[in-house]
Amino acid sequence: MKEKIGVYICQCGSNISDYIDVNRVRDRIKDCPGVGLAKITMFACSDSAQKEMIEDIRGEKLDGLVVASCSPKLHLATFKSVALRAGLNPYNYVQVNIREQGSWAHSDRPADATDKAIRMIEAGIARVHLARPLEPIRISTVNSVAVIGAGIAGLRAARELADMGSRVYLIEKDHYVGGRTAQWTDLHDTEKSGEEIISDLYAEIDRREDITLLTGATVKGMSGSVGNYEMEVELRPRYIRPEAVEERLAEMMERCPVSVEDDFNYALTSRKAVYAKYGTARPPGPMVDRAALEKESAFLAEYSDCIDLEQKPEIKKFKIGATILSTGFDPYLPPAGEYGYGEVEGVITLPQLKRLAALHAGGSLSHKGKKIQNLVFIYCVGSCQSEGENKYCSRFCCTAACATSLALKNKHAVRQIYHLYRQVRTYGKYEVLFDEALNQRDIFIKFDETDPPRVEEKEGKVYVTVRDLLTDGEELEIEPDLVVLITGMVPSSGRARVAEVFKAPLGRDSFFNEVHPKLRPVETVIDGVFISGACQGPKNISESVQSALSAASKANAMVSRGEMELEPTLAEVNPEICLWCGECESVCPFDSVQKVVREDKEVARINQATCKGCGICTPVCPRDAIDLIGYGNAEMESMIDALIKRGEDHAG
Amino acid sequence: MKEQERSPKMIHDVLVIGGGIAGEEASLNLAHMGFTVLLVEKDYSIGGKMIHLSKVFPTLDCSACISTPKMSETSRHPNIKIMTYSEAREIKKSKGLFEGKILKKPRYVDEDSCTGCQLCEEVCPVVVPDQYQYNLVGRKAVYIPFSVALPKLAALDIDSCIRCGACEKACPAGSIDFSQEPEEIPFQVKAIILATGYNLFDARKKADYHFGQFKNVIHAMQMERQLVPTRPYNNVLRPGDGRIPDNIAYVLCTGSRDKSVGNPICSQVCCMYSIKQAQLVMGALPMADVTIYYIDIRSFGKGFEEFYQQTASMGVEFVKGKIAQIEEKENGNLILHYEDIENGGKPVTAEHDMVVLAVGLTANSGITAEFINQEIALDPFDYIKPKDRIVNPALTSAEGVFAAGTATGPMDIPDTILSAGDASAEAASYIRRLE
Amino acid sequence: MHDRQGQGPPRILVFSTDKISDPAIDLAGLLKLHYPPTIYTVIVPCSSGVKPRWIMHALARGFDGVFIAADGTDCPYSPACTEHTGKVVGRTHEIMKNHNINPSRLRMAAICSVCSEAFVRQMKKFHADLAEMQNKTGEENQE
Repeated sequence: MKEKIGVYICQCGSNISDYIDVNRVRDRIKDCPGVGLAKITMFACSDSAQKEMIEDIRGEKLDGLVVASCSPKLHLATFKSVALRAGLNPYNYVQVNIREQGSWAHSDRPADATDKAIRMIEAGIARVHLARPLEPIRISTVNSVAVIGAGIAGLRAARELADMGSRVYLIEKDHYVGGRTAQWTDLHDTEKSGEEIISDLYAEIDRREDITLLTGATVKGMSGSVGNYEMEVELRPRYIRPEAVEERLAEMMERCPVSVEDDFNYALTSRKAVYAKYGTARPPGPMVDRAALEKESAFLAEYSDCIDLEQKPEIKKFKIGATILSTGFDPYLPPAGEYGYGEVEGVITLPQLKRLAALHAGGSLSHKGKKIQNLVFIYCVGSCQSEGENKYCSRFCCTAACATSLALKNKHAVRQIYHLYRQVRTYGKYEVLFDEALNQRDIFIKFDETDPPRVEEKEGKVYVTVRDLLTDGEELEIEPDLVVLITGMVPSSGRARVAEVFKAPLGRDSFFNEVHPKLRPVETVIDGVFISGACQGPKNISESVQSALSAASKANAMVSRGEMELEPTLAEVNPEICLWCGECESVCPFDSVQKVVREDKEVARINQATCKGCGICTPVCPRDAIDLIGYGNAEMESMIDALIKRGEDHAG
Repeated sequence: MKEQERSPKMIHDVLVIGGGIAGEEASLNLAHMGFTVLLVEKDYSIGGKMIHLSKVFPTLDCSACISTPKMSETSRHPNIKIMTYSEAREIKKSKGLFEGKILKKPRYVDEDSCTGCQLCEEVCPVVVPDQYQYNLVGRKAVYIPFSVALPKLAALDIDSCIRCGACEKACPAGSIDFSQEPEEIPFQVKAIILATGYNLFDARKKADYHFGQFKNVIHAMQMERQLVPTRPYNNVLRPGDGRIPDNIAYVLCTGSRDKSVGNPICSQVCCMYSIKQAQLVMGALPMADVTIYYIDIRSFGKGFEEFYQQTASMGVEFVKGKIAQIEEKENGNLILHYEDIENGGKPVTAEHDMVVLAVGLTANSGITAEFINQEIALDPFDYIKPKDRIVNPALTSAEGVFAAGTATGPMDIPDTILSAGDASAEAASYIRRLE
Repeated sequence: MHDRQGQGPPRILVFSTDKISDPAIDLAGLLKLHYPPTIYTVIVPCSSGVKPRWIMHALARGFDGVFIAADGTDCPYSPACTEHTGKVVGRTHEIMKNHNINPSRLRMAAICSVCSEAFVRQMKKFHADLAEMQNKTGEENQE
């Protein structure tokens, strides 16, 4: 038992004290057994409050520390460091969450919130009483980082990590790098095309010995723990013989008898079954669409010097210290019938329009044989749906639509573009693009979400009817050559599987969720698993790169020092009580339970290096011989007692 | 000025200029990666603009809860040396390294002995407007800048001081020192990160809104200060007569998207901070009506649109219309003239008893003039221009010089943190490549 | 056995998990989604690590209900977490029956890291059900 515990009750400005009567809390707490001092502080996390705590701990010789403030997810580390700097073992510190689970959750009932806070703090005190000093476990780390996804975010993270001194495994599920950026050819922030940017980055990646690029690669599993993960990756073959001669390959691609929809061009065109994703796709060389070509035995026989359908997937395993997910996004795909998509000819999406423009580089546009001179853009398709699933704004689309509109008029002889929008969100400097679109006399029409434009086909022509809020709700009918749905971003279809492998949780918008948007924006709750780019939420290319490099710096800082500290809260077996039955061994997900002989008796022992402290083994022990350090019966039951104890005083 | 030879040259890996959230984040990242950092802040305290905010969108976390631990961690990291009330001068590149001087301005208080006890502040007879409270209240000539300042030391504002000597007598540590002079200390670093932040748009430039003349027209940072826990009046009040307002208007795009004041771009944060303030006002004054006049609501970031919708459903009124002019009535109420765009565009008026101008952000890139033999290119709006916005968003036109946060353009806090992370990564890999 | 059923609003002990369900409970606070203030949380690393004896202890000391906010399929430790937590609940239900305690006073549900609305819904329902149980017990006692 502790004799002199310091309790600090944070007002959090007024976030706590507006609802919880902190004076009353202090008055109740200060006389609890073992409490040496109880103070109220404006911001417990501020530098001056931290200094005061350190002085108190040293001056008053406090042997335990309780801070009742916000969620420990935010500031557990802050106050552990306070304890450490004051010479108090950090495991003698407990944080009590009287904000998220106190003042905020019960802001409607301040008196009850105060009562709850008192109980929670008493439980914290009970826990500190039983806390024992622990030392963190020091482990060595592998200075390698896996980057999952080789779009713009992954490529940039990989290059920077290598330059900062980490070994990189860059893993791309596709057979070519570049992701969505390669498809976006025309970029408003740079003279270079998307393809050129990708080729340049590929060349840099290729040059660095510290980067291993694995394409056609799927992560099968990840085991181990932060600093020492083992990753298993399956590499799918391209079915091209490595020794094949270039001329023969070119000829084969030319003569391939099978054509399928080209998904790189979002089905606007078709491609051969032996193909490269696009002309300068990297890594260079063609690949075989096995499913499409399998039955063409004559062709396969003729080019058996090039094609080898016997190639097998290969499994690669390697060690990494941390991983960065950069799995990107998918363009929102409208269901058939949404604004006529898939039903009315002449309705395409923004990504399709970008490909259409790339296919007509420098010339006028045509779609399905029809010359395109007048277009209607319909904004917020798949975004800002107050009734639908995608409540969020996709952020990039307004700017992309305006930029595309400028390019269409400048480079593709387009005559007029009607922008049917809800709110124009060309934030920051992108406002200039909106302004230029106005200057080139584009027509902007504001519609209401509840009264959206109608897209109909009449006698082979597309008509769009819209009620314009800017002209007092006047109904307009437009007869464009093409309707473009300005579609937003949705989480990439592969992310559910990635989430499963890496255990990275998804947010309310189904994108990967960061721990905190400001404090830890590129981290997940899984130690050593970072998120970057549009897999965390819609972002344009520049923003994706910023987030990727941010993640790269965090990952490098984590693994590059060669060692790190882990929480020592692991399971431990009481060998006096244990009579080895193997129950714990059978449930342990990490094979951390070993049978050992101790004083002629078989008992279980926990491998400290692999135990992750989940505690799954503790309830299954028939003799209650296993505890998780910090979560023992005494600690848990004394906390429960404290939470309920004064129930008698207050009931009724 | 003290002679230079007395000060030994400070040698660090990276010079970070600006101790706001961007500078802190960049410094901490670099420090965690093992680099040494010299962080220079021109103000008395680190913390930048963010430390003065109340709560932040879209999570409504209190700003101090995010800022103060970062400030504290920055100040105690062994790899980071902080110099406050200091400015970087005469930066030149030679042999791949950057050299220059740090001008340490006198705070007329000895930093080593001052304990921040505030006795000097109590006895000082001078009261001047408090810039940290955006002039809503007064402060003394010798004062602790604000309650969570770091370092929490007194500073003496020599321009308003009347040299009465009261503080000198009151100070138990003898820390008041009128003899302090500016000091120049040479430095040498391998890379520089510019994190100089932004300026608030000066609302007086928008003459039709009569900020500074009509007492009940305030700007958003003044409202922000009225909403923080340490707020000067302990409530939201009309400055004109101290009455609690019950019909507040927000005028968005004050000084943004407005060529007439020389700032055609969008400031990126005003829609969201106004929406946030509207929520906070509704909490502080449950009976008050809040109306937001907007051109477009730009709730584009993660969780922003949801926050906007939530605010609208709480009863905040959103009116599409650019305010053309504001008039004052005798009772201090204000008449707003605007085109009611969603109802036919007729010119209409509305009366409110308090108006908050959602002022935008403007560039604060004066630091680029301190580079002697390097040119740091600016964009047409005077923000620091990235050399390659797509591939190296933090790199400026000068090799080895990077920019973080709002020094490069308007940005909200989450974007600022990512931008700072980016700058630290680009600086780190640049230094490693030098080696 | 101490039995305080029927006195005041029901008290619920929640076992939440550090990485998955406790963040959801925090988020409920952040969003000001209110739930009864007689609900108290104790954090564990994983819901499969909750011991039946803690649950029995809580019930014996006067908690009206115990709720395990389980990791479910989001568990960062074990893909079999739901099954393991389910077994903890199953075993505890057996013990409760042996002690003549209504097994419906222990519930579990998977609460993902952003499932704050689901959490609040579960809490309100459980709280109401426990209150109804109290009333019934009260009536039976009167009879």
